[in-house]
Amino acid sequence: MRTGKDVLGRAIAAQWRPVTAGSLMAAAHQAGEALVPVVVGVVIDQAVSGGDPGALVRWIAVLALVFVGLSFSFRFGSRAAERAAERAAHDLRIELTERVLDPRGGAETGRLPGALVSIATADAKRVGAVNIAVTAGTAAAAGLLVGAVALLWISVPLGLLVLLGAPPLLWLAHLLGRPLERRSAVEQERASHASGIAADLVAGLRVLKGIGAESAAVTRYRRTSRDSLAATLRAARAEAWHDGSVLALTGVFIAVVALVGGRLAAAGDISVGGLVAAVGLAQFLLTPLSIFSWVNTEFAQGRASAARVASVLSTPPTVTPGTGRAPAPVRGHVRMRGVAHAALRGVDLDVTPGELIGVVAPNPATATALLQCLGRDVDPVSGSIELDGVSLPSLEPGDLRAALLVAAHDAELFEGSLLDNVTAATDRTDVEPALTASGADEVARNLPQGTATVLAERGLTLSGGQRQRVALARALAADPPVLVLHDPTTAIDTVTETRIAAGIRKARRGRTTIVVATSPALLAETDRVVVVDGGVVTAEGTHADLMRDHETYRTTVSA
Amino acid sequence: MTVAGRPAAEPARELLPTATGARTRAAVGELLRPHRRLALGGFAVLVTATGVGLLTAPLLGHIIDLVAERRPADAITTPVILLVVIAIAQGVTTALGLSLVARLGESMLAGLRERFVERALHLPLDRVERAGIGDLTARVTGDVSVIAEAVRNALPELARSVLTIALTLVGLAVLDWRFLLAALLAAPIQFHTVRWYVRRAVPLYAAQRVAVGAQQQQLLGTVGGAATVRAFRLAGEHTGRVRQRSQAAVDLALRGIRLVSRFYARLNLAEFVGLTAVLVTGFLLVRNGSVSVGTASAAALYFHSLFNPINAALGLVDDAQAATAGLARLVGVADLPLPPEPHRPAEPADASIDAAGVGHAYVPGHQVLYDIDLGISAKELVALVGASGAGKTTLAKLVAGIHRPTNGAIALGGVDLGALDHATVRATVALITQEVHVFAGSLAEDLRLARPGATDGELRSALEHVGALAWAEALPDGLATVVGASGHRLTVAQAQQLALARIVLADPPIVILDEATAEAGSAGARALEAAAARAIEGRTALVVAHRLTQAAAADRVVVMHDGRIVEAGRHEDLVAADGRYAALWEAWSDQRRS
Repeated sequence: MRTGKDVLGRAIAAQWRPVTAGSLMAAAHQAGEALVPVVVGVVIDQAVSGGDPGALVRWIAVLALVFVGLSFSFRFGSRAAERAAERAAHDLRIELTERVLDPRGGAETGRLPGALVSIATADAKRVGAVNIAVTAGTAAAAGLLVGAVALLWISVPLGLLVLLGAPPLLWLAHLLGRPLERRSAVEQERASHASGIAADLVAGLRVLKGIGAESAAVTRYRRTSRDSLAATLRAARAEAWHDGSVLALTGVFIAVVALVGGRLAAAGDISVGGLVAAVGLAQFLLTPLSIFSWVNTEFAQGRASAARVASVLSTPPTVTPGTGRAPAPVRGHVRMRGVAHAALRGVDLDVTPGELIGVVAPNPATATALLQCLGRDVDPVSGSIELDGVSLPSLEPGDLRAALLVAAHDAELFEGSLLDNVTAATDRTDVEPALTASGADEVARNLPQGTATVLAERGLTLSGGQRQRVALARALAADPPVLVLHDPTTAIDTVTETRIAAGIRKARRGRTTIVVATSPALLAETDRVVVVDGGVVTAEGTHADLMRDHETYRTTVSA
Repeated sequence: MTVAGRPAAEPARELLPTATGARTRAAVGELLRPHRRLALGGFAVLVTATGVGLLTAPLLGHIIDLVAERRPADAITTPVILLVVIAIAQGVTTALGLSLVARLGESMLAGLRERFVERALHLPLDRVERAGIGDLTARVTGDVSVIAEAVRNALPELARSVLTIALTLVGLAVLDWRFLLAALLAAPIQFHTVRWYVRRAVPLYAAQRVAVGAQQQQLLGTVGGAATVRAFRLAGEHTGRVRQRSQAAVDLALRGIRLVSRFYARLNLAEFVGLTAVLVTGFLLVRNGSVSVGTASAAALYFHSLFNPINAALGLVDDAQAATAGLARLVGVADLPLPPEPHRPAEPADASIDAAGVGHAYVPGHQVLYDIDLGISAKELVALVGASGAGKTTLAKLVAGIHRPTNGAIALGGVDLGALDHATVRATVALITQEVHVFAGSLAEDLRLARPGATDGELRSALEHVGALAWAEALPDGLATVVGASGHRLTVAQAQQLALARIVLADPPIVILDEATAEAGSAGARALEAAAARAIEGRTALVVAHRLTQAAAADRVVVMHDGRIVEAGRHEDLVAADGRYAALWEAWSDQRRS
């Protein structure tokens, strides 16, 4: 079990080299920035006031060194920090992908794909960015230290004034900002609503056009847009006043430093150059201090994101995989005894090797439960499922799925050509028979580049019927010893469907095939059909017999 | 359902236009015009704020002079009080100026996005489809948010920075014109650096956006298809793909940071050159007695305080580039001409449909429809039947006026489609396709898209009419339930019922249904069929049907094959005629016969 803290800690620890290097260099950069006003003060003091050209050249050379130092340390420090952040995010992304794809499943339960992708991108990035916050925080501490030492060296009372005055000042600014920030977050959310609505209307453009609702939609959008504008303006106004107050506070602070420094200088306690440097440092020190509050926010966000990442990584698996190997070769004898899970209440079923069997479930939930059990997405609450006499839970998941493939109704196609998709799960190059049997050859013929056509947007540019045929071709091409097909032809017209049913029969000759469907065209091709109703097997026979004798079957199938 | 009927699958996309630089500037000018006063006011207030802020450095210089002249300590009290007054005045004016600038930017942005959406929604569908709907979506989300980001964050910062820089330079000149010359020594380096940077950054960031998009796509495919990946044991391959895409995005991001760090390193050089020049100038001027030490200090402080605004302004180059590119893409669409409307639009005489000699090709030379002659009289129900790829969907779209036929003519109510204005076409004929979309917002708002002024009672009766009232009222907040992408999820069948309810509300005399029931599964299909039958009652209807029970219930059946009408007639007559339809019907009912 992993917590958000572990995730965050590991993201930093695994990148300790670039984080350390980045911190050191960023610290050097901050120190350099702090030294610039100090050196300027010295130049005024030693060179400008005294009119000493030698001192001018010397101290300009020092200034040059400071600039070289701060420039290079920034350059390499920021690279190291960014590298640490990007690598940590990348590692998390891969780890999350592996967890989601884990054969034991479970990670995507209750999470929309979009939400998971957002965790693997936005949240992983935020966790990685904590590495930047670490280096920035270290650097700010270094800048603060150098500035403090310089100030105290110029004058102890002035140094104490700045060092003790700055934190309450920033705290005050923070207090001023907090209610505004909270309010602004709410307003910003409402403001972003407009863009969401616009995208939604564009996504539904065909539907809008279909009913001639374009003008109504524009009116609706304009209303949303005006609401958003009002919310944004409220947020912007709050932010502007916050910025203004911080500016005024800072100015007053500098005035106080000038007052105290001027009096000290007038009394001869510090030099004129010391006064210039102190004023410059007072301004400079506000930066590292504000970096601290930024670091704080970054860590808070990083922690929240890490918790989300951890919750995915630590999702309990839905099944415990076994380690047993499948018998070789697999004969394809599937045996279910008293299987109960969700809508199943004790299913007994024997599928003999090489059989083409139809399973009809009037209640779709029954079909889903059966498929989940066969694909080992879940283990039944009671009862057993065996493949060639070996119980499914004892098998290594990869081995099981190689032997028994469940081709789901909503199987996804992937980016790539039609042929890539069909050959995804097979080493064979000759997939012509699978293409023909599934009718995917016809789909290919209608595409601009045939089977080489890239299926844009994961096949969403194809029609439902075309997608189903490509998915079926992929399942047939995989040629597993046992194939379970779920509603493979619901979006395909009757004539084509009849041809596909015959194709399936031919392609699967001699191998076990279970077709879970209610389509008469498919069921007519099977050797035998089993009806699972109310969670148990209620009838069994050929399609023709059941059509004649079984009322429920007839109504289910001939809808 | 034909492949050709889905131009998105065609290889060459004709993206929507992008405006030229000149046109984009002109469009910004047009957006600015109604807010001229606001712009001037905001600008004036910010100038005041910046000017007030610049008084700080000479006052500090004055304090230094007082100290250097060994005046009594009390002499500095007055300038310090002035410093406090300045700080407060600067805070107030800055706040005011920033809110005015925000109001200006946001109002212009709202105006632009509204104009964009209005034009985008009114574009002819075939034009949008040639570009891919994704093109429009990317503009309305990505580009708008890039511009909003720029308006919200970059614009105020840029305005302040530029003003600070400009007025500080003026301030330097007031101290002594030679300080200004010294400070400007940094400018050529900065100018050259920005040019150097932009040349490299623009293509790099474009590549980075593409890589991040590809990574997103891959993750969506892999994660969205996790069940399929597991079933087919493709986990290794998919992890590899994600790794590769992610690595590519990481590599480009690191190249980006290398470029940025080199950019700032060069700006550091400019800072050093300018600062040294100002210090040396101060040294020389103090030595020859033209300025005091305090003035020289003020000049150095001025220049040092330029570091941040200069870096900020130059660092905003990226945002400005991205926003300009986005702006050009929005203006490009907002400027698209609408298809011409007829000079004297006619009104359809009745609810009949008449297609004469209609042929169509989405891509020249790739004909998908040939010589379609089809007359449908008012209130007739015609079913369109045929195998996938026969051209049914194309014919449906042509009749609905979505596409213009390549050959022949289609008339609604005796008037050619070309002689009807757009609004009349849309009020006359409605089209429902397999594509369902539930609009984000409340269920009532979704329905009101079809009839904006509809009362709750009308909404309820429309839902009732299609058998959807029961589940709609059972939703957590009834008709006020938020549905769509981020709300309550409706099933496909419910979404289709909603589409039918919209038809009832829109109440067009002609309705075209294209396989509106295909995805609902067999039990759902029957319920939807009944709902569809009620929705089209009393209207002229052309129904594309895969389920032949729909065909059997129609007044007339039209059978299509390879882009041609091959049979037409009453169901009984066609079955008796023993042709193609009879064979289809035979196969259909055979499987359903005991």
